[in-house]
Amino acid sequence: MANNFHDQVIAILPRLRVQALALTRNRTMAEDLVQDAVCNALAAQDSFIPGTNFSAWMHRILRNRFISDLRKRRETTDIEDIPASVLATTAPHEDRLALKDLAMALDRLPEDQREALIMVVLHGMSYEHLAEATGCAVGTAKSRVFRARRQLESWMIGEDQESPQIKARMARMRGLLGARMGTREAEATRP
Amino acid sequence: MTSRKDSRPTRPSKASKTTQRDDPFELWLKRGLHELFDEVASEPLPEELLRLIEEDRKTRG
Repeated sequence: MANNFHDQVIAILPRLRVQALALTRNRTMAEDLVQDAVCNALAAQDSFIPGTNFSAWMHRILRNRFISDLRKRRETTDIEDIPASVLATTAPHEDRLALKDLAMALDRLPEDQREALIMVVLHGMSYEHLAEATGCAVGTAKSRVFRARRQLESWMIGEDQESPQIKARMARMRGLLGARMGTREAEATRP
Repeated sequence: MTSRKDSRPTRPSKASKTTQRDDPFELWLKRGLHELFDEVASEPLPEELLRLIEEDRKTRG
């Protein structure tokens, strides 16, 4: 069982990194946070009950560690950290701009909403597991994801987004996605 | 005689609403989040961290 525990820790590391980055918005701090959380988990492994939700247990340890660190040092975030790595990818220019906007919009979200959105939308985590991992009620977990999504949509394409460039960009993206979906539907209904 | 009910404009039915899964913004958001975070998740794991875990495994094993 002990071996299984360590394998589970290694397997979940990529997701912990994403969660840590969602919380800290800083690569260096995220790496430190993951390492600290793993140390905490190894020290507390006897308290983990085999057969229960390891993922939620581990995400919760990382989150508690983040909150504990945050109390010690009230750091501001580094919004350039994520886009810098991402924008060097092969994404087309237009997509890179939209990604930068998305990264900046994510930075503006409260950290609990940002974390919830990423764990559900990106990791496909259920609301029940999110609630368990973040120590809140299922309704609160749902509400965080809903508000994060609605707020992002409002910033990216909504009424209070003053940038006409972003509006135009999003309108084009909507068009592209709509066209793709239309093509898919047409292919699906083709005899 | 035309009933008042008949003269009312038809409300869009719930069935005609786009589900969140099919919403273009939802699709775009999911793709964007993957673009932003997948690279981080797929980076090689730090040797130091793996060593730490393996050392603990040995002491417990």
